[in-house]
Amino acid sequence: MEPLKILVIDDEQVICSGCRMILSELGHTIDTCNTCKEGLDAIRKLDYHLVLLDIKLPDSDGMEILKIVQVEKSEIHIIVMTGYATIRSVVSAMRLGAFDYLPKPFTDEELIASVEKAMKNVGGSGKVQ
Amino acid sequence: MHASTHVDEILEVVVWKTTELLDAKGAIFRILNLKTEQLELYAAHGLGKKYLEKGPVSSYRIITELCRQNEVITIDDIMGDPRVQYPQEAWEEGVRMILDIPLSLGNHVVGILRVYFSEHREISKDKKDFMVAVAQQCSCAIDKARLIEEQQSLYDKLVLHTAKMSAIGRMAAGIAHEINNLLAGILLYSSNMIKKVPEDGPLKEGLDIIVHETIRCRGIIQELLDFSREREPKKTLANINDIIGKALNILENEFRIDHITVETDLSEEMVSSFLDENQMEQVFVNLLINAVEAMDEGGHIRIKTRLGSEEKCIKIEFEDTGCGLPKEALDRIFEPFFTTKAKGTGLGLAVSYGIVQNHMGDIRAYSEPGKGASFIVEIPMIQQPSSEETKGFENGAP
Repeated sequence: MEPLKILVIDDEQVICSGCRMILSELGHTIDTCNTCKEGLDAIRKLDYHLVLLDIKLPDSDGMEILKIVQVEKSEIHIIVMTGYATIRSVVSAMRLGAFDYLPKPFTDEELIASVEKAMKNVGGSGKVQ
Repeated sequence: MHASTHVDEILEVVVWKTTELLDAKGAIFRILNLKTEQLELYAAHGLGKKYLEKGPVSSYRIITELCRQNEVITIDDIMGDPRVQYPQEAWEEGVRMILDIPLSLGNHVVGILRVYFSEHREISKDKKDFMVAVAQQCSCAIDKARLIEEQQSLYDKLVLHTAKMSAIGRMAAGIAHEINNLLAGILLYSSNMIKKVPEDGPLKEGLDIIVHETIRCRGIIQELLDFSREREPKKTLANINDIIGKALNILENEFRIDHITVETDLSEEMVSSFLDENQMEQVFVNLLINAVEAMDEGGHIRIKTRLGSEEKCIKIEFEDTGCGLPKEALDRIFEPFFTTKAKGTGLGLAVSYGIVQNHMGDIRAYSEPGKGASFIVEIPMIQQPSSEETKGFENGAP
C-alpha cells in the first residue's frame, strides 16, 4: 500500500506533533498547521490524500474547510477530530463528506486504525458518502 | 372577592364592610398560619392599636371548637367568657358584646372573623346567616390565594433549579472540550511510547499507568458531557418494564450478596414508547446502585411503573428502605461531583438527570434521614418518532 500525504490541522501543536510522529513512523508524509487559513492554503497548494481536521479552530469553524474541500478537491479524505463530540456534530460532519471521525482523546492505535481505513479507500471505490 | 389573589386586601374590605353593615364598633380577621399553627391578625377595623397588639383574641382550642360547631356564637359576658383572651383590655376598649364567626373549609380550620359591639344588642338570624355566607366566601378566597402562593413558590424554585443546572451543564461542556484536547496529547504520546520501551521495566509500568488513568479521565468527561445534555438520545420503541427487567438482571448479584429484596409493581397497561433504551437503563442502574449502597443488609427496594393521565407520560418510582438523605443533600443531589458516598464520583445522578432531561422528562428525589428515599422519573409517552429521530444516520456515523 502506498504511503499517504497527510495534512494535520489542529490548533493544539502537541496533537499535530503526536500525529506526525506516529504516522511518519508508518512511512507517511506529514504536514501540520494550526489555523483554518493555513490549512486551506496548504490544501489548495499541495495534493494531499488525507486531512486530519480539528473542527474547532481559532480563526474559523473546521466545517468550513469540509465544505470547501468537498467542492474544490472532493478526492481528499478527511478525518474529523474533536474534543466536543455530539452526535449532531458528527452527523453534520459526515453529511459534509467527512470520511471518519475521531473523538479526542484517542490512542495511537485508534488513530492508526482510522488512517488505515482511509488508506484502503484511497484509490479504491471512493469515499463513503 | 374571588377576583383578587391578595388575601389582605379582601379581608380589609370585609372587616370594614362588616363593621358598617352590623353598625358595630369594629371587626378583625385572624387566620391560621399553617406552619406555626398560630392565629395571625390579618385585618382589623375600628379597634385600638393597644388592644390589637395584645396577642391572639382567643385560643386555638376555642376556635377549633367554634369551627367544629360551625355556627355564629354571641359572647355577652366579656369579663366572664373563657373565649375572650384579654377581657380587661377588651372592656377598656369599650367592647360589650362579641360575635364570633368561624372560617372553615371542610374539616379544616382557616380562622375566625370576630365582630365587636359597644353595647348589647340582638342580631337577627338573617344577618347572622349573611355573615356565615361571607365567612365561607372568605375561606375559599384564602384557600385559593394560599394555593397560588404555593404554586408560585414551587415554580420559583423550579426556575432557579433549572437555571443552576443549565449553567453547570454549560460549564461542564466547556471544561470537557478543553480537557479533552489536553488529554489527546497525553494519550497519543503515552500510548505510542509504551510500544517503544522495554517490555519489562519501570518505563513500561509508568506509561501503562498514564494510559490507563488518561482513559479513566476520558470516561469521566464523557459522563460530564452526558450530564450536560450533549449526548442526544438514540430513540427506538421500547417498553419501560422490559428496561427495568434488564437493569434488575445487571444488579441481581448485588441484591443477593446484600440480602436485598426487590418488589416490582409494573403496570400491565404499559406500552412501548420512543426512548433511548441504553440511556434509560443507565438511569435505572444508577438509581438501583444508589439504593443498594444506601441500605444495610436486608433492605427492600420497591419499583413501580404507571401510565400518567391520558397516557401522556410514563411514571417510574424507586423506593428504598435505606439511610435517607438530609434536606441539604437533597437540594444538591443532581449536581455533578456532589456525593454523599466515600468513594462516589458524584456523577451517577447528574448523568441520570441529564438523560431524563434529554428525554424531555423530569426526575425528582424525596427523602428524610433514616426514612429511605424515593426517586420518581417521569418521561413523556411518545408513540410517533419526531422528525429528528427519523433522519437517522444515513451517512454512516460511527
